[in-house]
Amino acid sequence: MSNHRAPEEMLFDYAAGTLPPGPALAVAVHVALDPAARQVVDSLRAVAGALFEDHCAARQDETLASDDEIEAVLSRLDDAPAERHLPQSYAPPEFAWAPPVLARWLPQRPRWRRAFGGFRHIPIRLPGDAYRVSLTCLEPGRGLPQHGHVGAEFTVVMAGNFSDATGSYGVGDFAVGPGTGDHEPIAGPGAPCIALTVLERPVVLTGAWGRWMNPLVRRGML
Amino acid sequence: MGIRTTALALAADRAATLIEAIAERRDRAAFAEIYRYYAPRVKSFLMRSADADIAQEVAQEALISVWHKAASFDRRRASVATWIFAIARNKRIDQLRRTNRPPIEVGDWITVFASEDAGPHTSVSAVQLHGRMKVLLQRLPDDQKTILHKAFFEEKTHTVIAAELGLPLGTVKSRIRLSLLRLRAAMELDEKP
Repeated sequence: MSNHRAPEEMLFDYAAGTLPPGPALAVAVHVALDPAARQVVDSLRAVAGALFEDHCAARQDETLASDDEIEAVLSRLDDAPAERHLPQSYAPPEFAWAPPVLARWLPQRPRWRRAFGGFRHIPIRLPGDAYRVSLTCLEPGRGLPQHGHVGAEFTVVMAGNFSDATGSYGVGDFAVGPGTGDHEPIAGPGAPCIALTVLERPVVLTGAWGRWMNPLVRRGML
Repeated sequence: MGIRTTALALAADRAATLIEAIAERRDRAAFAEIYRYYAPRVKSFLMRSADADIAQEVAQEALISVWHKAASFDRRRASVATWIFAIARNKRIDQLRRTNRPPIEVGDWITVFASEDAGPHTSVSAVQLHGRMKVLLQRLPDDQKTILHKAFFEEKTHTVIAAELGLPLGTVKSRIRLSLLRLRAAMELDEKP
């Protein structure tokens, strides 16, 4: 079984809360599906917690809580009804592979759209995000058209598997795009490969036919 | 050192028990104790990006969230410090971003993953780990600590930290990696039965 972990610095920036929304969602999905990545993030957060307690203790003398303040806060405790857990996300049954952290961001009635090159996708909008985030579904044995990137690309597999020149990726695996090189991911046989893809910039189609489509791809029409 | 370590570990344990008391029986005295200890810390953390009045207000909101979210605390997953820090940070992000939806990682960490896994790392409770981590942190060289502070408290990415310190990105990466490797190696040694 292959096991591709997100790069350490991304796990770190995620734990520190500094990743932009798109990459943060990719790491959140990866962390939801890969216990080893979750363990890394948990221990990074433990570091943050210890630093917090240690460091902020140095300054707290100036800001000690008075009895009045505590009384005031105690009296506010019952103002609001107990916070419910975040509403359990209601991914439709055919999206059962989506971990809750992703289900929350799916459109109300998610519907697959056909895209140039024989795959299907659903765009996902995150507030304040400059990345192109979408779900991609590749039929078994089918590939994406050959393409290259001018920015970062992150892919997290949620169902099925795919492979390209860099390796083969199964559920929970995190793939980092090949930089400026081209690649041609192909879904494994058996089941469709469903992945979350996060792109810094639109892809650049590099195949003989694909390159004619680039103006449309850049405008988000394909 | 020995005595201090024990006291810190006890404090972490006690804090966890207090949060559980809030969850189980809405224990107001337990909350007051938590508040006294953590509210000033949360405020001090928030004062890095806000003036005193706002920091005070947001710190109170964060601690009121602690009251309401107590049931989702799981001492096997996190120490109270880690958990409260996450809540405080999310309050701050909320305040900064002012988006309608919660930031991406609030819910998943605090509620969704709570108590679902019994992986090998849960053999040592996060609460015990916390006391040790604090001791380990004190032994880290200053340059490594500075970078961790920037990352966790000033919320800066590797790239921004590198620019600020005038260091190559690779150096920042390797310092962070080095400090984390040290911490994790020490933790793993501790976890061996």
